[in-house]
Amino acid sequence: MKRFWGETLAVARRISIELLRRRRSLIFWGIFPLILLLLNGSILAERRQIELAEALGLSAPVTLVGAALFFSCLGGSVAIVVAEREQQTLKRLFVSPLSGTAYFCGIFSAHFAIGLGQTLLVATFAVLLGATLTGSLVWSLLTLVLSILSYVGVGFILGTQLARRTEDVNALVATFGVPLLVLGGTFVPAFLFPEHLLAIAQFNPVYHMNEAILAATDATPDWPDFAPHLWVLVLFAAASVLLGWLSYRRMLVQERSL
Amino acid sequence: MMLHLDRVSKAFGDRQVLDALSFHVHPGEIYGLLGPNGAGKTTTINLICHLLNTDSGSITLNERPISHHTKALVGLAPQDNLLYRSLTCAENLDFFARIYCLSRQRRRQQIAYCLAAVNLSDRANSVVSTLSGGMQRRLNIALALIHNPQLVILDEPTTGLDIEARHDIWQLIRKLKQQNIAVLLTTHMLEEAERLCHRIGILKAGAIAAEGSLDELKELVSAREIVTISTDEPERAISRARDLGWSHRFYGDDLALLLPEPLELRTLLDCLADISLDSVVRQPVQLEHIYWEVAQSTESPVAIC
Repeated sequence: MKRFWGETLAVARRISIELLRRRRSLIFWGIFPLILLLLNGSILAERRQIELAEALGLSAPVTLVGAALFFSCLGGSVAIVVAEREQQTLKRLFVSPLSGTAYFCGIFSAHFAIGLGQTLLVATFAVLLGATLTGSLVWSLLTLVLSILSYVGVGFILGTQLARRTEDVNALVATFGVPLLVLGGTFVPAFLFPEHLLAIAQFNPVYHMNEAILAATDATPDWPDFAPHLWVLVLFAAASVLLGWLSYRRMLVQERSL
Repeated sequence: MMLHLDRVSKAFGDRQVLDALSFHVHPGEIYGLLGPNGAGKTTTINLICHLLNTDSGSITLNERPISHHTKALVGLAPQDNLLYRSLTCAENLDFFARIYCLSRQRRRQQIAYCLAAVNLSDRANSVVSTLSGGMQRRLNIALALIHNPQLVILDEPTTGLDIEARHDIWQLIRKLKQQNIAVLLTTHMLEEAERLCHRIGILKAGAIAAEGSLDELKELVSAREIVTISTDEPERAISRARDLGWSHRFYGDDLALLLPEPLELRTLLDCLADISLDSVVRQPVQLEHIYWEVAQSTESPVAIC
């Protein structure tokens, strides 16, 4: 167990140092949700005829989970796997005793730290502009963890199976990501969706992430509102991790023989 | 015996890459594995590193069959520099030291030792992408040593390096030997193998075609001196060589005459007096000649000395 945690922390630490050294990704992952929060808040304030501060409070959770974490955790984990492939450092990892599980957990831990950083940034920004954050901290954290786990799992699947080069990352995230985000209610609130789109959105994990975080941060959080989305999220996170692991095993077989 | 391969075979589809390959490396021994591209060197390394499984035969490290648990016994410096380019030299070493679960104190000691061993102590905090190709190559080797392995595999460690950097790496390899570490060296630079290796195995068609110390391998060439000539009349030169009881070989485009005993230059030129010669090069038997001998031989294996 000590070895497992040692390996996990080593991977997380390495990814963090690489991101801190390059800075660019971290800066963009910081700027992006703030701009989006302002836009979403302004649109919501105008459409619902409410104060900007209140609109920011309502927009912040969805902006964070639906958009910010999507690009940092999913896009980030795809980029990490692709970079390992391009630098061929995967071979050195395969030769070492590093376990695949510790490698996954290391990537998850690094992205969880980034996700927490984004959460603090978005929350602080919203509060500074007068928003009041409400709801259940535990449910919110649970939603964050499950969302990040899902994103990293899907990132593993895309990174190991579909993205061969760095150029593929943007195309993949755009192709899979943007429609899911729109249909998840990240940019346009789901309550404005027509019925048929709402029916389709039920099959979109991002929709459940957004609805779960909205329920968790409601002024009076209600378990029946939260629970259905939570269970979908639990199932999706488990499936993503399992498929991510299987994809990793498949990549191992392919890359080892090179 | 540190490393022992016993009748190891491996095929990829219909292509038999290794065919009953056997050799061993002792602690403190530098074993050179030579062979043309596609002879199976990389596959052999991948099998020893447990990246691939054998179809048949066995590989043991320190008498233990290779498995996930023997990975810590092996340090691999691959052909390409596999480094995290945005980390510093020390951070690269620290990452792998953590993967091998070294304690904080051991990590510090090993990082300092490895950087010193490859003459990179003064570049410990330099980001890899700012290092020259030679420095990256040296760091690539340092990473193979970070966990103090008992077997170090160096896959063409000096390819693309200048002479000075090459000598530094040769010195490092000799130091490993002094520390009783077994070294498996693959190289296309025959001079490198001659200088460093205690024993050399020449891989051909997935098996060892010839093996032994350099002196033992020299016995495979029935000559004491090789005379390489450049001439417009190769047929006449070959005919003259036959008359004198010398063998001949073509090493690429070069015609080489195999002399059973070294001759004075004057005597040699007298022997070839009426043949038009552009150049004459005399050499003692070297690994290059042995390599050609093995490569051109139709017998398999040629000799295990």
